[in-house]
Amino acid sequence: MNRETVLEMKNIVKDYGDFRAVNGVNFSMKKGEIVAIIGPSGSGKSTLLRCINGLIGVTSGEIILTGDTGMVFQHFNLFPHMTCLENITYAPVKVKKENKEVVKERAMQLLKMVGLEDKADVYPAQISGGQKQRIAIARALAMEPELMLFDEPTSALDPEITGEVLNVMKKLAESHTTMIVVTHEMGFAKEVADRVIFMDNGVIVEEGEPKEVFENPKSERLIAFLSSMLRA
Amino acid sequence: MDKVLGFLPFMLEGSVVTIEIFVLTLVLSLPLGLPVALGSNSRFKPLSFLCKLYVFVFRGTPLLLQMWFFYFLFPMAFDWKLQAMSVVVVTYVLNYAAYFAEIYRGGINSIDRGQYEAAHALGLSKRQTMIDIILPQTMKAILPPIVNEAIVLVKDTALASSLAVIELMKATNSAVNRLTDLTPFFYAAIIYLIMTFVLTLVAGKLEKFFSRYDAKEEW
Repeated sequence: MNRETVLEMKNIVKDYGDFRAVNGVNFSMKKGEIVAIIGPSGSGKSTLLRCINGLIGVTSGEIILTGDTGMVFQHFNLFPHMTCLENITYAPVKVKKENKEVVKERAMQLLKMVGLEDKADVYPAQISGGQKQRIAIARALAMEPELMLFDEPTSALDPEITGEVLNVMKKLAESHTTMIVVTHEMGFAKEVADRVIFMDNGVIVEEGEPKEVFENPKSERLIAFLSSMLRA
Repeated sequence: MDKVLGFLPFMLEGSVVTIEIFVLTLVLSLPLGLPVALGSNSRFKPLSFLCKLYVFVFRGTPLLLQMWFFYFLFPMAFDWKLQAMSVVVVTYVLNYAAYFAEIYRGGINSIDRGQYEAAHALGLSKRQTMIDIILPQTMKAILPPIVNEAIVLVKDTALASSLAVIELMKATNSAVNRLTDLTPFFYAAIIYLIMTFVLTLVAGKLEKFFSRYDAKEEW
């Protein structure tokens, strides 16, 4: 394993009963790299992401992580009984036992970064979906993870507000946050990712630089997928 | 009429016993229900089986039967001479804990999976997840059924009269018998209604408190 490597997955297999969701994935990424995973529904993208942070166990294979991961979910999963600020400060204070004031200051900076300083003392039910997702990003970042995982972060949002979330993610990309983004936003993948991975039926069918993958797809399946995305 | 009023202090003393049974039962069974609920949900099969069996038995048989059973069991099996009042409290606590356990379990199971996933992704322990994330969110949902049970409990206290515990019902009965007058029943009814009314008021306040983080019309 290279000194710069933050994640290495060796021959990952994940079964749900008789169904093989992930079928032998090998994958590694370096610090600062931004990887987009694309593919049709049920292709194993989200499952793979959940294997990385241990939300689900793998059936076989090996995952090596050098640090903590943070995760942003499709449905935000903010804690509804806590204010936005409390959502962000809870884990650093309770899990990492950091100083409350230090965490609060960092949380306010993160709120500023996602453009929601004014929502610190508001409960999640009082803000819009796009705002919720930005708070969720701030919450994950507050734990200062080495690797950020995004599980279709804009899929539950109305098309006109996906932009505000994607902009925050672009900011993160510019500051070289290591991240894996499972997404249906082809524009975002093309523009921001260093590497695009196309998954189908639990395997990586194609991977490469965005230009290569989007402009010069080699496999039938990727060609079919990309044209279906264009039609949508 | 004066004669009837003469029995009122006696009935009020009975009411105090009724309130004692009510408060003791609630204070002890509300917390006891939680480990039973968590146990029922446990992946450790023997534990979950035991908890479910407990709920099945105590919810599925009459409170009166349980009370009489314990009344005879303690002296026979353990040679404990318990006061009738202690038997009543033990039985009520065990019985009500079974109901509360089911209410808690329903509340816990109603919380979205995503909350557990978010907690896990942030590195929270199972304990932190349950205490700080899941349980506070169940409060609003479980409050109405808990209040409902509490109101049933106010009335169930009357069953203690069968063990010669002089609570409101027993006191009322003896007043009626001695006076050969039905008015004490009306007094008792009013006292029970006051108790349940107070409960409803408290419940309303709690409900408001637990919905404080719901959407307010801000956007």
